[in-house]
Amino acid sequence: MSPPDRDDGVEQAARRREDSADSRRVAPARSTDERAPTLTADDIRYAYGDEPLFSAASLSVAPGEVLTVVGPSGAGKTTLLGLLGLFRPPDAGTVRWEGRDVWGRSDEERLAIRRRIGTVFQEPALFNESVARNVGYGLRVRSSWRDRLRDAAARAIGRTDPSDRVREALETVGLAEKADRNALSLSGGEAQRVAFARALAVEPDVLLLDEPTSNLDPRNTAVLEAVVAEAREAGLGVVVATHDMHQAERISDRVAVLLDGTVIETGPPEQVFDDPDDPRTRKFVTGELLY
Amino acid sequence: MLLQSAVLPDAGWNYFLSIVAVSLYVSGTAVALSTLASLPVALAVGFGDFPGKRAVAAVINTGMGFPSVVVGLLVLLLVSNQGPLGELGLVFTPKAMILSQFVLATPVITSISLSAVESVGEDVRDAAFALGGTDADVALAVIKEARYGIVTAVLAGFGRAISEVGSILIVGGNIVYSDGTSYTRTLTTAITVEARQGRYEAGLVLGAALLALVLGVNWLGSWVRSRGRGRGSQ
Amino acid sequence: MPIQRRRFLQTAGVAATLGLAGCTGGDSTAQETTTTGQSADTGGGDIGDGELVLATTTSTYDTGLLDALHPPFEEAFGVTIKTLSKGTGASIRTARDGDADVILVHARGAEDKFLQDGHGVNRRDVMFNDFVVVGPSDDPAGIEGMDSATEAFATIADSGETFVSRGDDSGTNKKELNIWGQSDAEPSGQWYQQVGKGMGDTLVQTNQIGGYTLADRGTYLSMRDEIDLTILVQGPLQGGPTILKNPYGVIPVNPAKHDNVNYEAAMAYAGYLTSPRGQSIIDNYTANGSQLFFPNALSEEPNFGQYVPQGYSAEQAESLSKRDRQFLYWVDTQVPNDY
Repeated sequence: MSPPDRDDGVEQAARRREDSADSRRVAPARSTDERAPTLTADDIRYAYGDEPLFSAASLSVAPGEVLTVVGPSGAGKTTLLGLLGLFRPPDAGTVRWEGRDVWGRSDEERLAIRRRIGTVFQEPALFNESVARNVGYGLRVRSSWRDRLRDAAARAIGRTDPSDRVREALETVGLAEKADRNALSLSGGEAQRVAFARALAVEPDVLLLDEPTSNLDPRNTAVLEAVVAEAREAGLGVVVATHDMHQAERISDRVAVLLDGTVIETGPPEQVFDDPDDPRTRKFVTGELLY
Repeated sequence: MLLQSAVLPDAGWNYFLSIVAVSLYVSGTAVALSTLASLPVALAVGFGDFPGKRAVAAVINTGMGFPSVVVGLLVLLLVSNQGPLGELGLVFTPKAMILSQFVLATPVITSISLSAVESVGEDVRDAAFALGGTDADVALAVIKEARYGIVTAVLAGFGRAISEVGSILIVGGNIVYSDGTSYTRTLTTAITVEARQGRYEAGLVLGAALLALVLGVNWLGSWVRSRGRGRGSQ
Repeated sequence: MPIQRRRFLQTAGVAATLGLAGCTGGDSTAQETTTTGQSADTGGGDIGDGELVLATTTSTYDTGLLDALHPPFEEAFGVTIKTLSKGTGASIRTARDGDADVILVHARGAEDKFLQDGHGVNRRDVMFNDFVVVGPSDDPAGIEGMDSATEAFATIADSGETFVSRGDDSGTNKKELNIWGQSDAEPSGQWYQQVGKGMGDTLVQTNQIGGYTLADRGTYLSMRDEIDLTILVQGPLQGGPTILKNPYGVIPVNPAKHDNVNYEAAMAYAGYLTSPRGQSIIDNYTANGSQLFFPNALSEEPNFGQYVPQGYSAEQAESLSKRDRQFLYWVDTQVPNDY
C-alpha cells in the first residue's frame, strides 16, 4: 500500500464517507463483525527491560468502530497504543494491518501503513509554528522533497496559503479562525483540538487516541467526543485509551479491558460494564480492585 | 600600507577591508562547516541511547575550553610540510585557518545545540513520527523546534572563531601581500601587529571594527529570534 | 660597484640572479645544475608556483623595509611574496619544516647550524646595523655612555633595575644571551623579565615599565616617536663595542631536503636582495629621518665567509681523500648503472 496522492486521497475519502454511511444504514454500528478488522494485535508481548508489561494481549479495530481500552494506570495502555501505532515492534506476537503482518514487511511498506494511522496523545505536543502549519505537517511529510522545498521557498517570501484539507480539518474541530495563530499560544483545550485536526488532516483509516481528553474541561471534551463520533461515521476505526469509564460508555462500540498484562475481556460496553464475564472486570469497574 | 591612524588613506582602506573580508570568510566558513558537523552529532548524542554517551557529551563540553594556541599548534603540525597533511600544501593558507577554527568552534556549537536539542520534548518527536514522519523528518522537526537554541549555538561559535587569535596566528602566518591586501591576516592578528608596534590608535580602530562585527552578528541573531517569537500572540 | 654584473642582472633574468647569489654550496651542486637548466626555460615569467614564502624577523617587517623592497621584486619576477614575520628562531624552525622557501634572519650562530644541518644553501650577507642598549632617559642604573655592553649589563643586574628580555629565541634574544654569557652577571631574578614578544612589543612594554632592553637600532629608530626610551650604550655604528653588531643574512631553503620549496624564486629573491638594485633600496630606506640598515652584499673584494658556516675551512675540513670520496658519491648517485 502506498500513500495516495492528493487528488486520489480526496476522492477516496469521499468514497469512504459514502461507504460508511451506506453500511451504517444497512448494519447497526454495534455489530461490526461483518467488517474485517483494519488493525489487529495478536498475542503481543512487551517488556521494559526485565519488567514485563503484557504477555499475550490481543485486540482489533474495524472500520467505523470505536474501541475503548480501559484499565488501571500502569496497565500499559499507552504502550499498547504505541505498538498499534508502529512506534516499535512487540517482543513477541503479531501486529497486523488488514490481516497481514506489519513487521515482516519492508520499511517502505511499513511507512505507508504507518501513514494510514493517526495518533493523538494526552499532551497535544504541538510544534512551535502556526496552527495551520501544525495541521499541515502530516501532509508535508507525505509530499516530495521537491514540493517541500518549494513550500519552504514560498513561505520565505511570505506566501502561505493553507490547503483545503488543512482548512477542512480545522473546521471539523471548530478552530478555522485560529489558523494563523502560533500553536503554542492556544489554551489547553484548543491545543488538543488542533492535535486532533493535525491527525485527521491526513485522512487516516485508523485513529489512535491516548487519554485524549483527560486534561480537558467538559466543553472541550464534548467537542472532541463529537469529533470521534464524526470520524466513526466517516468509517475510521478509532482506538481510545481512557481511564474514564463514563466516556468509554458514551463513545464505545466495544470496550477492551487491559488488566494483569493481557486483555481479559472485550465486548460491548453494556456487557463489559453491567455483566462482565471475568470477575476481575467487575471488581475493576466497581472500583474494588485497587492498583 | 599598515593602518597609520584613525584616518585611513586609500591604501589603508584596501588593507582594512581585505582584513575584514578575510576575517568573515575564514570564520564564516569555519562556522558553517562546524554547524553541518555539529547538528548530526547533537541529534545523535541528544536522542541516541548508546554506551559511552555521557563520555561523548563530557568530551564535547571539555572541547569548549580547548586553548586556541594548542589547537593552532596541533593543526600546524598536521598541515606543515613535515606533517601528515603536508602534501595538501595548507600551511599558512586561509584553509588551514578554517581548519583550526573548525576545531575550535565545533565543540561550542555542538554543546549548545545539544542542550537545545535535548530541551525538545520527547512528545514532539513522537508527534512528528506519529504524523507519518520518517527518521529524517523527525530529526528536521527537532532541529526546527530547537532553532532558537541552534541560532544561539551558531552565534556563540562565530563569536569564538572571529575573536580568536592564537590558532590562526600560528597556522595562518599573518600574511599581507605587498600591495597591502590581506591573505591570512584577520582583524585579531592585525591588532597584534599594531600592538607590537605601539600603534594603539590603529589597533583600536581594528578592535572597534571587530566589536562592531560581533555585535552586528549578535544583533542579527536576536532579531531572528525575536521575529520567530513574535509570530502569533504569546 | 661591479657594473658588468648589474647589466648581467638586467638582461638575463633568473639564471643571472642564480649566478649572482653564488653557487658554492658544497652538497647542493648537483641540484643546482638542474635548477639552472630549468630556469633557462621559465625565463623571466612566474617562477615555480609564482609564490615565495619568506620567513623573517620582526625587525625587517616592523620597520617597513620589506614594504619598500618587495613590490619591485614582485613586479620584476611575477612572484607573490608571503611574509611570515616571526623572529629568527621561529623563522628558522619554519624553514626546517619545509614551510618556507627562504629566510632573512640575523643570528649567525643559528644560521650556521641551519646550514650545517643541510636545510639551507647559498647564504649571502645582505645588510647590517647594530644593537643598542636602551632605557629610561633618567638612567637609574647609570650605564649611559659605557663603551662595554657586558659591563653595562652587569651594572643593570647589580642595580636591580628591570631588564626586559625578548625571551623568544629571536636574533636579538640570542645576541642578548650571548652578551650575558660574556658578562659577570647572571640574568636571573625578579628584575629580569622575559616577555616572549617581538621587538616592537618589547620596546613598548619596556617603555611602559621604565626598564632597559637590548634593541636592534632599526626597530628602535622606526619606533622612536612612540616611546620615550633613549640609547644609553651605542652599537658599533656610533663607536660602540663590536659585540653589538647586527648582520642580516638571506638563505634559500635546500630543495634537496625539502622538495616542495620554490627554490628558483628563493634564489631569485636572494639575488635581488644582494643586487645593486636591492642594495640601493636598503641604502635609501629611512624611518623618522634615519637610515635603518646598511647594505653589505656588494664588495669588490672576495668574501667567501658569507657562504659557509663561520670558521669553516675548506683546507682543514676536506682532505684530498674526502674530495675523492665526494666525487665517487656523485658518480654513485647521479650516473646511471648502465651508463
